[in-house]
Amino acid sequence: MKKTMYATGLVVAATLVAGTANADKWSDQFPHIKNTGDIAGECSYESMSKKDYSGRTLTINTHAVPVIGEPTALHGEQFSKLTGATVNITHTPAGDLYAKAMVPFQTGQAPYDIVFGFSNFIRDWKQYLEPVPAKYVNMRQMKDVTKSHIDVASWDGQMIQFPIDGDRHYLKYRKDVIDNPEFQKKYKADTGRELRVPRTWKEYGQIAAYFNAQDWDNDGELEYGAAEVMAKDILGSAAFFSRSAAYSKNPNTPGGFYFDLETMTPLINNPGFVEALTDWVEATKYVPPGGINFSLGDEINSFGGGQALFSFSWDDAFVKAMEDDSPIKNKVGVAPLPGADRVWNRVSGKWDEGYNQAPFIVWGWAAGVAKKSDDHDMAFDYLCFFANDANHQADIAIGRFGVNPFKKSDFVPEIYVERQGWDQEIAEEYSQTLLDMEEKSTNRVFPLRVAGTSQFTEAVATGTAKALAGQLSPQEALDEVAAEWTKIVKRVGADNVRKAYSAGVALEDNLN
Amino acid sequence: MNFKHKHIFLLPGLLTLLGILIFPIIFTVRLSLSSWDSFYPGLDFIGLENYVRLFTDDLRFWESFARLSFLSVTTVFLQYVIGFSLALMVWEDIKFQRFFRVLFLIPMMSTPVIMTVIWRTVFHESLGPVNDFFSLFDMAPPWLSNEYLSLVTVITVEVWQWTPFMFLLMLAGLLSLPKEPFLAASIDGAGPIRKFVYVTFPLMAPISIGAIIIRLIEASKIMDTVYVLTSGGPGTSTETSSYYIFIKGLREFQMGYSAALSFTYLIIMIISLTVIANVLVKIFIKKA
Amino acid sequence: MTFIYRALKYGFVSVWSMFVIAPFLWALSTSFKDFNSVTGSATYIPWVDFEPSLEGWKVLVRSPAQGGVNIVEPYFNSIFVTCSASLISIILGTLAAYALSRFTFKAGFIKNNDITFFFISQRIMPPVVLSIPFFIMLGFLGLLDSLFGLILVYIVLLMPIAVWIMVDFFNKVPREIDETALIDGCNPYQAFYKVVLPNSIPGLIVAGLFCMIFGWTDFFFAFILTFTEVQLLPVAIVALNSSITPWWSLSASALVSVAPLIVVAFLVERYLSKGNLSGALK
Repeated sequence: MKKTMYATGLVVAATLVAGTANADKWSDQFPHIKNTGDIAGECSYESMSKKDYSGRTLTINTHAVPVIGEPTALHGEQFSKLTGATVNITHTPAGDLYAKAMVPFQTGQAPYDIVFGFSNFIRDWKQYLEPVPAKYVNMRQMKDVTKSHIDVASWDGQMIQFPIDGDRHYLKYRKDVIDNPEFQKKYKADTGRELRVPRTWKEYGQIAAYFNAQDWDNDGELEYGAAEVMAKDILGSAAFFSRSAAYSKNPNTPGGFYFDLETMTPLINNPGFVEALTDWVEATKYVPPGGINFSLGDEINSFGGGQALFSFSWDDAFVKAMEDDSPIKNKVGVAPLPGADRVWNRVSGKWDEGYNQAPFIVWGWAAGVAKKSDDHDMAFDYLCFFANDANHQADIAIGRFGVNPFKKSDFVPEIYVERQGWDQEIAEEYSQTLLDMEEKSTNRVFPLRVAGTSQFTEAVATGTAKALAGQLSPQEALDEVAAEWTKIVKRVGADNVRKAYSAGVALEDNLN
Repeated sequence: MNFKHKHIFLLPGLLTLLGILIFPIIFTVRLSLSSWDSFYPGLDFIGLENYVRLFTDDLRFWESFARLSFLSVTTVFLQYVIGFSLALMVWEDIKFQRFFRVLFLIPMMSTPVIMTVIWRTVFHESLGPVNDFFSLFDMAPPWLSNEYLSLVTVITVEVWQWTPFMFLLMLAGLLSLPKEPFLAASIDGAGPIRKFVYVTFPLMAPISIGAIIIRLIEASKIMDTVYVLTSGGPGTSTETSSYYIFIKGLREFQMGYSAALSFTYLIIMIISLTVIANVLVKIFIKKA
Repeated sequence: MTFIYRALKYGFVSVWSMFVIAPFLWALSTSFKDFNSVTGSATYIPWVDFEPSLEGWKVLVRSPAQGGVNIVEPYFNSIFVTCSASLISIILGTLAAYALSRFTFKAGFIKNNDITFFFISQRIMPPVVLSIPFFIMLGFLGLLDSLFGLILVYIVLLMPIAVWIMVDFFNKVPREIDETALIDGCNPYQAFYKVVLPNSIPGLIVAGLFCMIFGWTDFFFAFILTFTEVQLLPVAIVALNSSITPWWSLSASALVSVAPLIVVAFLVERYLSKGNLSGALK
């Protein structure tokens, strides 16, 4: 079964790569897809041109320009030309997307037909969104989407959000250091350990500290160990969970990562998380100056500009590093997130020795159609068009668009080698690592998607920030977070949270 | 004075304001008695539960209030002293007088939300000019990452942005002072310092008090600076009440609780301002 | 003695001037940078430290489909909304302030000072919580995403300032002036318009300026209460603030949004100085 899927993926990809044969009237009119031409499908340029939405208006709220904002506008323009619809778009900064959508929704209004946001809003806004109709779910285009991204877009088996982007956390490292034989010799001589892609967070910390505050690429500037998203916001809390997954997601104790599913007691202050936070506080010693305040943008600039040895959040830093004008193009590698040498067993109350690794299937950009919109048909067609094969292939090649791979046919190395000038070795490493994470991993952590999710993540953001700033010790900080979580659960209602959380646990424990 | 005239002057403004505000005010009070959040939208009634919670279980709110008091008193004090001094200096004869007068107005014309981004890059610890300067002394002060320095940074930006406000009010006040007392003082042979202490300062007392009060009100709402510069960090060291209310309200979407916080904040501010106003009157007017 | 005083004076004024200008110069320099010039260390002078680029400025006139944020229309929207709301606020506010300064009100235990305080207390409330009720209210009136709806909301924000400042300035104008006018045969409106008002020009100018500033720079209400039809300048500019902060275009937009108010500052300064001369008018 897997073999046929992989084969189909290859065939699709081969068609995409051989694309120049398809350069056609559509790519003449729309230079955006000039590399592949229009690719046949229910939502291709050809199909959309047959639809007539003239006289109708589509209103969209999306993120700021350019990340997701620019492709939304670009595809809106294209859609408008093909179908005659008028597309009105408003751009909102990331932190305010939630409010901008929820305030109208909660007062019973739907000024936007389509809302963009982060996929972990799903529990809070699913009652205001129209489920994706079966006809779209069954399209070949949709079947090509990897399993974890279908899962992220769905709730209780129903697809609520339309997959338009893929996201995950993975480790990025400077190949010119890690794979450098001279440095390897020196490192071994100085520390007695191997210089290699770190397998655990402890190893990551050791290597980062060793190479911190030195100029190892001789550009006259100091480089540092790691660029991490430590800012006190929702993205920072995602970075924390990436670090904690290996210490706390124990495949032998199903039934909860954030909470004990039965009692709804928070697990956030158990020794696994505390260990991860201790590592993170340690990391403040090997980040660039000001690193403790790094937002995602700062991290992208820092790693992408060549300032750091490691980075581990979303794709963007890697894509930035591999752009044509980047000083470190083809000098960066990809690996799964480090794991840990022991994982906490909450049932036995002891550590289980042995290597453990768990990818954090982190949230990413998502789009939904408002239930109260009058234009469901047009809205879904737009989203389907946005994510159609031709557009998607063009989008992932443009770093600033923020659109990252999420289809099986995306993970074919040749695409990156030919279209984006990546080294073959790096392209293969990239495709294999990501594909394994998306399709094969069984011990995974999903973001917390329950009622009032933002309250929980805010508590984590505040608590971890306090620890990073040295205001509290990691244990104290997480104890505070746990206390806050208990209060929130009480306020929202334990049963309500449990009901929602069990959906996530089912995904994590692969019960589906 | 005729009964009708005074109402014709007052009522158009007052009624317009009330008309637009009446619904939001009542709604906010009602909202504070509900538990509206992202999971329970709608106005259910939970009585004073929100208020009980914020008085008994919300240390963070009171901490933010303490921080707020510190920040607003410090910034307003600095703005008053600097603004008044600048106003005095460009009120008398000085070269390039008109240039300075215009220049000193400009910072408050910038949009705080946008200008603070510029400040963020100025104080950026690896890439900003401030630390470039300090690197000459081998220092790299953590302007945005240290709990005390971040307060200094916030104060600096606030003083830069809002001193012009004080400056303008004081200047306008100075320009509309009557000339007689000054002529009288000159005849009496008073030097500049005595003129200031016995003539200028007392005459400017009412304006000073008004300016300080309104600046305190505005400073307490400090949002944009904290939001863009530090996000209330590091940790919670620059978190002010209005930032906390913002987080609870629009990030966590606990609207009901946020309304209760706002209302409490409003009452406390009204009480404090009344007290402060009385104190200021005693200080300023007593001197006359 | 006077020499030291003068030296201190010029010194202080110069230092403060540099402090005022510095961020703007930095913004100017940054607006000509691009990504690579920013990620190394601080760079200052174009052509000497880095290669200048017009990208930051071009972004402001491109449409979002091309990676820009067209700020031309929001610019004019902001001008219109700010001026209208300020004008209405000044008119209504000045009238109300005159009443509060000259007449005595007593409705139960509510007296003048209480009414004045009521006006200014509107500025105390943090705007966050007002977002939902204003949203509902404007939605009910069909005024969401409209210029008129924004103007209504801004009147609430700006009128209190006008009242607060004008009360102070009216209080400084001696009552005898009014009384003389009335004795001379004016009715109260003429007394106000012809005699008291000209004596309070500095106050009017200051109040007007503050109204315009607070209206022009508001972000929050414009953000919550508009969608796609009407965009105000601060909201349009913040639309650039995605995961990768484009310091160069934000710098350019900061300069662009300050520009009109600088023009206003010139006008204000001129009228302030003129107003001085008529200060002793009787």
